[in-house]
Amino acid sequence: MSKYPTIGESLRHQGISRRDFLKFCTAVASIMALPAAMIPKIAEALEGTPKQSAIWLSFQECTGCTESLTRSHAPTLEGLILDLISLDYHHTLQAAAGTAAESAREAAMQGNKGNYLVIVDGSIPLGNLGYSTIAGISNVDMLKEVVAGAKAVVAVGTCAAYGGIPHAAPNPTGAVSVESLITDKPIINIPGCPPIPMVIAGVVAHFVTFGQLPHLDSLKRPLSFFGQTIHDRCYRRPFYDKGLFAESFDDEGAKQGWCLYKLGCKGPVTYNACATTKWNDGVSFPIESGHGCLGCSEPDFWDAGSFYKPLAVPISGVIKATTGYALAAGAAVGVASGAINRLKRYQARQDHETVTITDLERNPK
Amino acid sequence: MSVATFERGYNAFKEQIDAPIASFFSSCVRCGICAEACLFFTETGDPKYTPIYKLEPLRKVWEQEYTLLGKFKALFGLTSKLTDAELAEWKELVYNGCTLCGRCSMVCPVGNDLVYMIRRAREGMVAAGHAPEGLINASKRAITTGSPMGIKLPALQAQINHVEKDTGLKIPVDEVGAEYLVLLSSMEIINFPEYLEAIAKIMQQVGKTWTIASAAFEATNSGIQIGAADIAKELVNRVVTAAEKLQVKTVISPECGHAYTAIRWEGPNLIGRPFTFEVKHILEVLDEFREQGQLKTLGFESARLTFHDPCQLVRRGGVVEQPRHLLKMVASNFVEMSDHGKMNWCCGGGGGHSAIEEAHEIRTQVFQRKKNQLEELQVEKLVTACANCRIVMEEGLESYEMQLPIVGLTEMLAKHLATSNENN
Repeated sequence: MSKYPTIGESLRHQGISRRDFLKFCTAVASIMALPAAMIPKIAEALEGTPKQSAIWLSFQECTGCTESLTRSHAPTLEGLILDLISLDYHHTLQAAAGTAAESAREAAMQGNKGNYLVIVDGSIPLGNLGYSTIAGISNVDMLKEVVAGAKAVVAVGTCAAYGGIPHAAPNPTGAVSVESLITDKPIINIPGCPPIPMVIAGVVAHFVTFGQLPHLDSLKRPLSFFGQTIHDRCYRRPFYDKGLFAESFDDEGAKQGWCLYKLGCKGPVTYNACATTKWNDGVSFPIESGHGCLGCSEPDFWDAGSFYKPLAVPISGVIKATTGYALAAGAAVGVASGAINRLKRYQARQDHETVTITDLERNPK
Repeated sequence: MSVATFERGYNAFKEQIDAPIASFFSSCVRCGICAEACLFFTETGDPKYTPIYKLEPLRKVWEQEYTLLGKFKALFGLTSKLTDAELAEWKELVYNGCTLCGRCSMVCPVGNDLVYMIRRAREGMVAAGHAPEGLINASKRAITTGSPMGIKLPALQAQINHVEKDTGLKIPVDEVGAEYLVLLSSMEIINFPEYLEAIAKIMQQVGKTWTIASAAFEATNSGIQIGAADIAKELVNRVVTAAEKLQVKTVISPECGHAYTAIRWEGPNLIGRPFTFEVKHILEVLDEFREQGQLKTLGFESARLTFHDPCQLVRRGGVVEQPRHLLKMVASNFVEMSDHGKMNWCCGGGGGHSAIEEAHEIRTQVFQRKKNQLEELQVEKLVTACANCRIVMEEGLESYEMQLPIVGLTEMLAKHLATSNENN
């Protein structure tokens, strides 16, 4: 452990002033949604804490999660995370390759046994272990081997958290999530396709600062970022409440920025922090750009029907038409039935034999 | 010669079911409030007399012939077809258990005209041969002799001679161009000749021209009571032909409830065209005379008396205030019954009931209601405006050994005519 410098030392080594360090602590507090009073405590903790060893495993993935993290805004979260942790293995980012790279992983595992953090992105194929290998080792073997000595596992991205797109029907590789393979270690899921970089940073900062995982929901997601739906925090919510909906992507409602519910927005059933943290240095998030939420941070989002199909809609469109046809059919049946009845009564009148006093009885006397 | 058959009856039910009946049956919520309005239920306590239940055969035909659900039910054997045995069973409910008084129609919370339906159901009963013998014979007499009681012209002629002798007034017969054509009921010719006498005196006082038609003196209509529109139509036609031949302006329906319903309300529908003359009940005509100041009376009846509202005249006909106005001219001690006016109780003999011999017992039983109404009031005299009510109530009072004179309102007024008093 002592071979790692403390975070304070590391930062000073990079020529970061005390003032910048406190700004850094403020950023950490803010991403963990902690009050300002916590900043001195964070500073104190970080000052004396050795950098956390972390091993990043990338399996069946598109590298979008890594891209998301490394292209985040300033002060770069990438930088922030790299300041907090010692990223001992990340085969996309590290300079070493081949045997050297794998040796670094093994060294980190042995040197920090029981204390290192495993960050996973990508799903794990079980259909054929040869579908995805690193240095000749299958993903599932590597995961189990690395996690065996870990303190906790962070599943970054929807693929690692729920299987994601590789898991989508018909799931040709037999892809599964981390939590379906690992049952004996604390797991935290940070879903999203990709996940919000600040959330990754926040969770790691929390783990490093407090030495434990934050509060999680039933899907093992940190509540501080996944406690509310996109819809709950959406700036277009007032339009929803007023019943003002865009009916197509280029109608007047869309131009006025009305609610995208009817265009298939999954905001009401998606738990994530997009509406508050936003993306690209806080520029916007999908709904602000005019497109409904896809629900990428929810399990099976890819298999949950069209992105453009509304979740549930009051009588309108298809249903309105159906109701109309049903009414029309009912009316037609009614009219036909009435006509048949009229005909029957007409026939009965035709069949009427005038009643005279001679036929009032069955057996006239 | 044709005879009544079940098939003819079933066909008649089918042809009678019109839009009102279909909507009444679909609207019925089976609340049973009509039971409480029915004399036969209140006096016997037997639920079979619930008015809507009396319509069960007609309802069955409606459901099975004219509703989708009913057709499906019949298809899957969930309902049984109407049988002749059922009709035979219902004969007692439709005729002996109903006077067509229409009280049930007044209370129905969804506005179903129940009595209209029972009247229509009787058409099916007649065609199927399930009409009571008493009404069949009355209908036969009405068609063949001109009167349900078999009274022929000579009998009327004798009565006319008698009245002319008594009053010294001429009774005009077949006078072309008279203003009023006066109709009579057989009951009045036989039992209450005072009515004809009263008319003669009143017309004399008000100075109106009137006549009796020898070809159509009878106002009652057995066809309406038994429920045979074809027979009713023929009887109405006789009056219409006579009235048009004599070119009268107004036909006066006598003190008889069903005669009024037949000629005033069903008449034009039966013959399929509007009348060229007006039809009024004698009380309507008398009240007009009163309003115009032509009817002058002297003196008052001092006896404590009340008025029995004939159902067809008051409830079904809307002649509610006229008898009250007229009574107040000649009665100083007039009191109203409980439930008076349009909600008054039937005498128990309407709708042809009084012609059904075998229904005598139940008629007496349900008269209990009228008896109670009268006992509450402790009156000395009972006034009405329907000869049938009068005869039924006389029988009822006799059965319960009550002493109470009953008079017709017209004859009571005639007794107090200013001129007749001066003459006397």
